[in-house]
Amino acid sequence: MKRALAYAVLLALVLVVVFPFYWMIVTSLKGEDQMRSLVSMFWPSPFVLDNYRQLLARTEFTAWFRNSVFVAVSSTFLATAVGTIGAYGLARLQFLGRGFMASATLITYLVPPSILFIPLYSQIRNLGLADSLTGLIVAYPSFTVPFVTWLLMGYFESIPEELEQAAMIDGATRFGAFWRVVLPLAAPGVLAAGLYAFTQAWNEFLYALVFITDVKLRTLPVGLSTFITGDVYGWGFLMAGAVLTTLPVIAAYIYLQKYMVEGLTAGSVKG
Amino acid sequence: MDRRISNLADQLAAGLIARREFLRKAAVITGGTAAGLTVLRRMAHAQAKNKLRVWLFKSFVTAGNDVLAKQIEAWGKERGVDVEIDWATFGDREQKTVASIEAGNPPDLAEMNIYGPMRYKAVLRDVTKVASALASAKGGMLPFAERSMKVDGKYLGVPRYAMITVFYIRRDIMEAKGLKPPKLYDPDVVEFARKTMDPAKDLWGFGQTLNRSDDGDGYMQNILWSYGGGVWDKDGKPSLATTFREQNLKALQFSVDTIQKYKIQPPGVMGWTDVSNNEAYLAGKLVTTNNGASLYYAMVQKKHALADKTLLVLTPGGPAGSLVGASCYNWAIFQKSKQAELAEDLIRWLEDEKHFKEYMQVSIGQAGPVYKGRADDPYWKSDPNFEAILQNILRSVNLGYPGPMTPAAAEVQGQKILTDMAGRVVTGGLSPDAALKEAHARVEEIWKMRGKG
Amino acid sequence: MAISTARLPGTVRSGAKRPVGLARWLGPDWRLGFLFVLPIVLLVLALVAYPFAYAVYLSMTRKYVGLPPVFVGFENYVKLTWDGFFRRAVQNSFVFTFASVACKLILGMAMALVLTSNIRWRSLWTGVLLIPWVAPTVVSALNFLWIYDYSLGVLNYLLVHVFRILPQGVGWLSEPGTAMASVIAVNVWRGFPFFGISFLAGMKAIPAEMYEAAAVDGANALQRFRHVTVPGLKNIMMIVMLLSTIWTFNDFTIVYILTKGGPGGATQVLPVLTYEIAFGAQRLGEAIAVALYMLPAMAAVIIVLARYMRKGRGR
Repeated sequence: MKRALAYAVLLALVLVVVFPFYWMIVTSLKGEDQMRSLVSMFWPSPFVLDNYRQLLARTEFTAWFRNSVFVAVSSTFLATAVGTIGAYGLARLQFLGRGFMASATLITYLVPPSILFIPLYSQIRNLGLADSLTGLIVAYPSFTVPFVTWLLMGYFESIPEELEQAAMIDGATRFGAFWRVVLPLAAPGVLAAGLYAFTQAWNEFLYALVFITDVKLRTLPVGLSTFITGDVYGWGFLMAGAVLTTLPVIAAYIYLQKYMVEGLTAGSVKG
Repeated sequence: MDRRISNLADQLAAGLIARREFLRKAAVITGGTAAGLTVLRRMAHAQAKNKLRVWLFKSFVTAGNDVLAKQIEAWGKERGVDVEIDWATFGDREQKTVASIEAGNPPDLAEMNIYGPMRYKAVLRDVTKVASALASAKGGMLPFAERSMKVDGKYLGVPRYAMITVFYIRRDIMEAKGLKPPKLYDPDVVEFARKTMDPAKDLWGFGQTLNRSDDGDGYMQNILWSYGGGVWDKDGKPSLATTFREQNLKALQFSVDTIQKYKIQPPGVMGWTDVSNNEAYLAGKLVTTNNGASLYYAMVQKKHALADKTLLVLTPGGPAGSLVGASCYNWAIFQKSKQAELAEDLIRWLEDEKHFKEYMQVSIGQAGPVYKGRADDPYWKSDPNFEAILQNILRSVNLGYPGPMTPAAAEVQGQKILTDMAGRVVTGGLSPDAALKEAHARVEEIWKMRGKG
Repeated sequence: MAISTARLPGTVRSGAKRPVGLARWLGPDWRLGFLFVLPIVLLVLALVAYPFAYAVYLSMTRKYVGLPPVFVGFENYVKLTWDGFFRRAVQNSFVFTFASVACKLILGMAMALVLTSNIRWRSLWTGVLLIPWVAPTVVSALNFLWIYDYSLGVLNYLLVHVFRILPQGVGWLSEPGTAMASVIAVNVWRGFPFFGISFLAGMKAIPAEMYEAAAVDGANALQRFRHVTVPGLKNIMMIVMLLSTIWTFNDFTIVYILTKGGPGGATQVLPVLTYEIAFGAQRLGEAIAVALYMLPAMAAVIIVLARYMRKGRGR
């Protein structure tokens, strides 16, 4: 694309993407009165930190934040581990049912959480994990593992088998070859998959709503939704919470996105 | 006794360790002797507290929530019960409740909305004992509460407080034009709106959405009744396009006319959700609107500029009078609960007049009376605007009126059939008659499926 | 060559060893293979397959909340087929899904083209453009609800007071035409970065030599795009569109928060209908039938696509 055209399109896209986010931030810094009027729409006047102050001081926001971090990190770990190992098996090893399983990975997405959650909740409860963060950590991989597996399957397939075979000739086991040769090469893919799983876990709402009752164990999205009481929306408050919920993930992406892109493409290995 | 065991016992009492863990650790200390174990088991039992799980609605009356929580904790301390409270908002309560019922894990006590007893009747405990005791102590239940709490002859809910819609008027604008509050929708409200509105300044005479929302559906119910119509007849059979066809048609036509013919409503009103009219009113764009008392609460609590300029009056009526549906929050106990007696005790505690008064005082008119006795409380005279709230509640009717409240009626409300009907006329281009027939078919289907109860 | 030349799952590699004995039946690597996939299989069985099976069973029952299910076979499905509101929801779902996916495709492609052009601070822009996909959907939906607000929303403010394009605000969520477009817009806003970043990765894997060769052959930018870029992205395009179609079809949050299916059912899509029947009408069996109704069709699409991909590759 020609440079000028590229910049023009970029500008348009960035505006469209950034404006709602900007709006969210601005709203969170406005006071009640300004919210009700159309005065100085695009800039808080006066600049008010009350929403944030109240959020952190008078709600369980910090607890929710901790919970979200704990659940997201743990479930990502679990999903990535399970998915990576499974993907390697499906990509490299020959065994009965392999083809079927490889095709079936994405089919699990046909079943939406909006139905699954009721029987799933029964399951979680039977495991004694209702009203615990562990329950979420166990449940989240159900919708992140398929994508992780599929992503890494493709990734592994792009790494030439010769490398593992060389390692095994040198005396390594299959697993050893996987662990020491293939996995490091697949690091960007694993990272990309991990980022995806983290994002999904961080933003998840429905399971967190239903499986958890204790206020102190809530995750951020559910906690935020409790600021909506009846037909009175505290927009400023809500947006403040929204900003603080979104910032960590955005920061992570701005910092790590090049790994994400790299992970979605071949590493230095072209097959 | 070995100090280690007594330490463990303290931990158990403080709830720091679970009973199992206590038994395990203590068993190690005693060397697992039979005698030691029985002693421990007896100790563990004595130390274990009762636990009660309570689900509450997070009301916009934040002060009220705090009072309620405090009262429950106080009760817990007094009775030696460990109370676990869950707050939920209006949006998520149904999902959680259904999931927990299906998983066999409902709470002991839950605060429900008016449809709760009907909806969940299969899994709720009979609370007739508590409900009638409280009712007779407080002068009897108001009719609409009685009819909604009683399902199949027994009380499945103990009513707590009533919520109602009222008609909001900008008193300053009204007085500036030398007008008086409108009594009938047609023609008073239309006239009133026309004389007070100023579209050039984005000020509209009447703000009432017909979109899928509780506001919209509530309004539709009320207007049908006020014209002498309704969804159900006195036997609980569908009557939208049959028995009450004439009246319903007039009511529907009027409602649609406020948008299309009289143009007293702001454009875009069909896209409103429950929040929108609140916001529009607070932004000074509406002269009148229907809303629950939540709007008034929001204004007074935040000391909004319009709080003093707002007048609450009885909802305007139609040819058959002014009928409104009230809603009430109530307490329900699940059959699966092993602490039903404790739950009943808690209900009695919270509904005790002293405690309830404390709650009511901070509610700014939200906690309407469900018992006749409570209606006489001087609190309702403390703000002239409360009179409208009180009066509306006293003359309100139950969902399903003139018939009984049935699961079918609850479902028709839940599926927002009335607002869909109006929507089909305003945005779908159907004639009112066609929309009425279409809605009637839907209602019939639901009625067939749900039966009469 | 991961995502860029990735295949649809199911395509089999060539070059297997010759198995013997038990291994002939179970595959030469069966011990290790089973071990490697055991975690996934367990997870999927326990957390997806079993609840799904139970859900399928429920869809064939008359089940009200709190009451035991009563088996009724396909009655729910038959009833739905003749139900006008269900059909409208199906129609809306199709419109919502296909319009959204089409727009996301275009915007995603634009995003990828821009990010592979000769611009500065590429990393920063990539990160920024990912924001919508990364933010919690609930948050974004609420944000747009506020933006679309008729009286206080910033969109109307911009159109009426700043740019003065319109005399008065539009009820974005109030007219059927604009309501559907408005919710589609939010879905597109939220989802296009996924397309963008996938295409971006895909484009990076297309060897530069191919572009050079085309340029030497006299192709201009547009022709290079048509004859080099698009074919090179074909695979990834198919996959991303497939995934996005499934995800969009099942999307609940956006429509629910913005319109709850209104006005007058104009934006009622299947997931929202499912929700209403499950929690408004408390008829769980029927609700699940609504959700599962389109499943066979979608599964068929996936399978057909998988076959097509396998044939088309033949490597």
